Amino acid sequence: MERIEIFEKLNEIFVDVLDLDEVELTDATTADDIEEWDSLSHVQLVVAIEKAFGVKFTALEIMKWKNVGELVDSIAQKL
Amino acid sequence: MVVNSINFWLFFAAVVVPYFLCFRGQRGQNLWLLLASYVFYGWADWKILPLLVGVTAVFYGLGLAIARNNESNPRRASQLTTLGVLLGLGILFYFKYFGFFVQEFTALFASLGVPCGERTLNIVMPIGISFFTFKLMGYVIEVHRQTAVPTRDAVQFSLFIAFFPTILSGPIDRAATFLPQLQRRRRYNESDVSEGLKRVLWGLFLKTCIADVIAPWTTVVFGNYAHHNATTILVAAPLYLIQLYTDFCGFSEMAIGVARIMGLRVVENFQRPFFAKNVAEYWRRWHMSLTTWITDYVFMPLNVAFRDWGLWGLYAATLLNLIAIGVWHGANWTYFWFGVYHGLLLCIVTGLDKRRKRFEKAHHLKDNELYAWSRRLLTFLCFTFGSVLFQAASMGDFLGTIARLGQGFGPLYSEEFSSLVIYALPATCLMFLREWVAEYRRDIHFMHSPNIIVRLVSIALLISFIIYAGQLEGNSFIYFQF
Repeated sequence: MERIEIFEKLNEIFVDVLDLDEVELTDATTADDIEEWDSLSHVQLVVAIEKAFGVKFTALEIMKWKNVGELVDSIAQKL
Repeated sequence: MVVNSINFWLFFAAVVVPYFLCFRGQRGQNLWLLLASYVFYGWADWKILPLLVGVTAVFYGLGLAIARNNESNPRRASQLTTLGVLLGLGILFYFKYFGFFVQEFTALFASLGVPCGERTLNIVMPIGISFFTFKLMGYVIEVHRQTAVPTRDAVQFSLFIAFFPTILSGPIDRAATFLPQLQRRRRYNESDVSEGLKRVLWGLFLKTCIADVIAPWTTVVFGNYAHHNATTILVAAPLYLIQLYTDFCGFSEMAIGVARIMGLRVVENFQRPFFAKNVAEYWRRWHMSLTTWITDYVFMPLNVAFRDWGLWGLYAATLLNLIAIGVWHGANWTYFWFGVYHGLLLCIVTGLDKRRKRFEKAHHLKDNELYAWSRRLLTFLCFTFGSVLFQAASMGDFLGTIARLGQGFGPLYSEEFSSLVIYALPATCLMFLREWVAEYRRDIHFMHSPNIIVRLVSIALLISFIIYAGQLEGNSFIYFQF
């Protein structure tokens, strides 16, 4: 799967889980850029991403991501 | 030596002048600040100084060992990190909770008819232990997660742990943001000194004109709750929350300001919590350095581990997270139940979050100010109730205080209440005005106005208020006991 396809799918997941009207994720996007993305919703996002892509992340992986770009790297490595 | 005392400012003057004048590089400045920090800590509790130095040395070594093994031997790196966390928790447990557990088990066995003998442990809790052990544990976790680069410079690391403005009561700084600042020379900078002094002034105002004016009255009321009626308790409860906020935020402002004068930026601790619209937001604005620490290192790992349990996993992690925040304050059942209370509130807020958003959308309430202020009031009241639990010496005292609400209303306990009305009330209004401006009207400035007259008048008025209304005896801070 191309990175661009991963981003498209992630945009849909973020809109659905965080109840947003729309979102345009980039490599540099962080939780600071999206008001609804907090520590409570973070893991809900992870669960939705794991389900949608059919992957499983380790705890250390989840806690090391600094931005969406690193999350996309993790997904791409597992596909 | 509290930051609002003359002694502290004499000490600080003796530190800061050579700090800028006598050292040509970061090494000298760091060594000088470390020496000052150990003198400062030793002044408060010299017998514990060897413990502070010893654990600092152990964690310095652990950080380097973890970094060495992160890539080559991840399993060993994990083991070393676990060792560091267990060591930090062990130190905390021994000094802070061991005596409590011995007492509770002795009482439990006695109630079961097993005599254990009366034993009292005289373990002296080192001042600031909850703050520096959290810094130490945070450091090894960050190095393991590779979100912080460990330092080879022992002086830099020791200074990060013992930095005198924050060692006694926080804010709990992170290696990733603080250590890099120690790697360059700090030059005298007029804007840093000016900003630092303004933060100190505001902190002094909060502490001396609000917290220390309210404190004598609330201490008398809650210390003798059995003699007071529902009216007095209902007035004392929100006043105590304001006292707690201004006491701790006042200290944090002064600590941040003192560091800023020396060209060092310390993490923020409060962000106008009374403007929060729900308890989750309140916790994101209150004692932020502790709540983010516990969120990153307790809540997130638990939430990730429980993620396959759905919402129940989130509730379990939330509850354990808030219990951890509660018992961090000390070994007392009141802190445990304080954590449970806030954990349950947060679970309710989380559980209703989607419904609330749908309700707000359907009724166009997102920008409705009346609705926003109703939510703020409700949040304030939830925290007011929690603060009664927080201040109680025991669960018996808490239940006794709440029971007074059923004893009927009556005249307000008025002894020394007039000083609250004359001094603390206008000061509190001023605090809310400044916070309202920061929330709603960022274009209005007082002490930071580009207009020099507005700036000088604001500063002069604040100083006059402190001189006129402030309690300037150098009273201690509530959070020093933690």
